[in-house]
Amino acid sequence: MPQTTIYVAPRTPPPPAVATRELARLFGRDAALAGVSLRVERGRLIALTGPNGAGKTTLLRILATSLRPSFGVAEVDGVDVATHPELVRPRVAYLSHATGLYDDLTAAENLRFAATLLGRPSGTDGVADTLAEVGLALDADRRVRGFSAGMRRRLALGRLLLASPSLVLLDEPHAALDADGMALVDRLLGRWRDAGATVLVASHHADRIHDQADGWARMDAGLLVEVGGEGVAATLPAPALDSAPAPVRAQR
Amino acid sequence: MSALRADAAVAWAIARKDALSELRGRHAAGSTLFFAALVLLLFGFALGPDSRRLAEAAPGLLWLAIVFGGLLTVARLHQLEADDDALDQLARYPVERHAIYAGKALAGLAAMLVLGAVVLPVVVILYGVEVGGAWPALLATLVLGAIGFAAVGTFYAGVTVRMRAREVMLPLLMLPVVAPLLLAAVKATAAALGGDPFGELGAWLQLLAGFDVVMLIAGGLTYGHLLEE
Repeated sequence: MPQTTIYVAPRTPPPPAVATRELARLFGRDAALAGVSLRVERGRLIALTGPNGAGKTTLLRILATSLRPSFGVAEVDGVDVATHPELVRPRVAYLSHATGLYDDLTAAENLRFAATLLGRPSGTDGVADTLAEVGLALDADRRVRGFSAGMRRRLALGRLLLASPSLVLLDEPHAALDADGMALVDRLLGRWRDAGATVLVASHHADRIHDQADGWARMDAGLLVEVGGEGVAATLPAPALDSAPAPVRAQR
Repeated sequence: MSALRADAAVAWAIARKDALSELRGRHAAGSTLFFAALVLLLFGFALGPDSRRLAEAAPGLLWLAIVFGGLLTVARLHQLEADDDALDQLARYPVERHAIYAGKALAGLAAMLVLGAVVLPVVVILYGVEVGGAWPALLATLVLGAIGFAAVGTFYAGVTVRMRAREVMLPLLMLPVVAPLLLAAVKATAAALGGDPFGELGAWLQLLAGFDVVMLIAGGLTYGHLLEE
């Protein structure tokens, strides 16, 4: 009787949600990022903290395909953002400092435009529900030009809800928001996490984010200087005396 | 086919968004039309009251007014994207880059056609041009010229939109490239108005059409690089 041999391929773990290696970005002679090696597990909510000019926004912009790295590698779900940005864009939702809204369109028109470009067919684009979700249902037909900074921020958050990302990048999401708006951000963070998305939040409101975050990473002068909690690992710059273990890891 | 349909939906959404913004945006479109008409009036004053001289210069002046007004138009359509960093947001949508270019070019074409529809009657009335049966040829020239100008203008407005001196750089970069288009459009307009005695109108229109095709393809292939920082 002939024998059948079945080969079982070893299960390869899925790539991390975010992986960067020696990632650097120069603006002229200034290094906004000076060699960042970071790894974020899937489904984690990670707070990115640090002073102004630490490189948080530059890191998020590279991951969002808005900025090309000068050196090093950045990957989202194992896909290189520099060589295959077209494969990264459908996976990423990014809230930047600027809202990227059109002043002469209404709130509903702005979201409908976004829904079309995100491939959502009209009629099922979820614009009305999204406006209600972010507290702008009564302002749906008002032009954005007359909106306050907080209302613009809410609308930009609503635009993120139209996408189905695996990675959500938020740059100072609490900026310009009132207490209700901040509660909205907290609610959305929970929702994305429940949906299995990875969330990377750059924020000065470290205390507010830390309550919800699985882990955190602190940046300074274009470098990662400290990581902690769960789901995040980094290669940190060696201290003055090379007695400290490197890489420093903080994982479950 | 579905990819083509998706690209068309994206292009249409961008063009519609630009058109809405133009129509609602603080009288910018009206200012451009007024500026183009004013250019024609000033050239009229400069050339004097000789009606024959005015009629001879009309084809060139028509296209100069369209070029001046068009420069403002294509620059403003990209300025919409520069406000509040909307261009960065636009570039992050998971859509084909050529679809974004097509949408912006389509909006530019619509604005150029409106400009042409205003400027052409002004030239006819102000310079006493006898059009007669030349309207179809004139309109064909206008449409082909507008397509080429929108194709080139969209690309160079994308090149300059992030520059500090974009108002200066746009004409500096763009005008040398549209020189063949301008030449062909003026010659075709003159041939159409003059009854095409040498049978050259078809050749100039073919040159315009060829220019349009080349520039649209080149713009579609390269515009994506302009969106990256």
